[in-house]
Amino acid sequence: MRQFFPVEDLARDERFVQTNMAERMKDGRTAIAVEKQSSAKSRGATKRLTPERHDASDAARGLMHGIMVGEIQALEGAGRTAHDFAAGDGTGDTVPFELKLDMARQAWDEARHVEISAKLSDWMGTELGEFAENTVLFEAACSNDPILRLAGVNRALEGLAIDVFTQMKEFGDVAGDPYLEFCEDWMLADEVTHVKMGSDWLRKVTANDPDRRTKALEFQQVVDKLFSFGGARGESAESSFSLAKRFRELAGFTDDEVETISAMDAEALEERKEAVRKYRERVGADA
Amino acid sequence: MGNGATDTHESTARAPFAPWDRRDIPGSFSVDETARRVGNYKWAEMKLFEALGGWVATVPELDVKMRLGTHCYHHAWHADLWHKRLPELREMKPERLTVPANEAMERFISAMTEPEAPELTIEKLVGVYRVLIPRFIAAYTYHRNNTSEITDAPTIRSINFILQDEFDDWRDGEMLLQSLVTTPEHVRRAADHQAKLEAIMVEAGGITGADSIGTGETSSTEGGA
Repeated sequence: MRQFFPVEDLARDERFVQTNMAERMKDGRTAIAVEKQSSAKSRGATKRLTPERHDASDAARGLMHGIMVGEIQALEGAGRTAHDFAAGDGTGDTVPFELKLDMARQAWDEARHVEISAKLSDWMGTELGEFAENTVLFEAACSNDPILRLAGVNRALEGLAIDVFTQMKEFGDVAGDPYLEFCEDWMLADEVTHVKMGSDWLRKVTANDPDRRTKALEFQQVVDKLFSFGGARGESAESSFSLAKRFRELAGFTDDEVETISAMDAEALEERKEAVRKYRERVGADA
Repeated sequence: MGNGATDTHESTARAPFAPWDRRDIPGSFSVDETARRVGNYKWAEMKLFEALGGWVATVPELDVKMRLGTHCYHHAWHADLWHKRLPELREMKPERLTVPANEAMERFISAMTEPEAPELTIEKLVGVYRVLIPRFIAAYTYHRNNTSEITDAPTIRSINFILQDEFDDWRDGEMLLQSLVTTPEHVRRAADHQAKLEAIMVEAGGITGADSIGTGETSSTEGGA
């Protein structure tokens, strides 16, 4: 077995359809509200994923399917990190033995999350493969530096999972679906643990290597911004998901780090709005 | 306490071992020999959890993928139990004894982890569930039944927890295999791969070498007074 495993070789059965993030976001059933010309009736309405949204059913199903394939990739990524690096002092190509154990534990947790997500998808009336899968999460787990993997996957992406699961838990509560709320609550607890693992190991392994820490945090910011989906996560009512600040603090994020992510989300939202404005101008000029 | 309620005292003097407690001191392994075996266990459990974790991304069958992820943690936990046991056996640098029993055992792990392609799920499962885990069960059972029940009770306690996992995981893996092996060609593949790996394992003698289940030429140190 190779030491490092490329994303294009991820093994899937024939039901899965893989695509890139841009193509995935073009699916009209996405939970991330797509910019449309707002009518007088919809103007000012929140874009949060709530049962009141006219597309709530498809959006929630699509999101749950996205969570399931994300959990599969998180399982694969944790398994690879348990495999790819020898036990050592954390320098070079080695990771501390206890970090490998944490990755194995995370693999078990993610396997349970796949089980839970599969049950939930079935509960919500979704077939496996009904929505496309983008493999960006596993790509973040392909770095040759294990600390970059922890920054990208455990801190950025599992951090996003905290935000999404918090939103889905609320969705279950408001929609009167205790099954959904129950499952999301349990997965949320695990995600906080995984983010904390990432935070703790990042600090421990890079304690005497500030350059490596800086590089890892920069990588985390890149992944964070990529997965803010153009401000789809943020404090604004125009964002589909909010930033779950309290749970992030429990997971080892400092106040400054939470504020940085919040500011980055807001910036990403403005960039998306500007892009949409320019697109409309161009389409208008062409018409 | 002298409450003066009565002058008669019921004796609390009892034998140190209750009549039904038949545990005894003699055991087959010295501290050093136990540490050596535990180091071999840790090495093999590590190699197994690494392999299971690495294979998750390579198998297309969703149920197998999830089982491998689950079992990956079980074996990591076993490795952790042995890692923590080593300093209690006077080995303050656990990595010193975290080694394969012999060169053949190392070769066995290389051969077991060789299959990577997505169509080789049968070979991956055969190596783990029809060759390696049965060897773990054998070595752990031999150790549990031959070590001192009193002096080495911590090892026995760990082995009992671990054996429960090994039996459960073996059952999971064997049932997955039975569900995947559905044609004569599958049977041939499974048997061929098992034979190839078994031959190396026989050379290795088992998880702790020639004396893994007490039948090897290496003699153990008799414990006891």
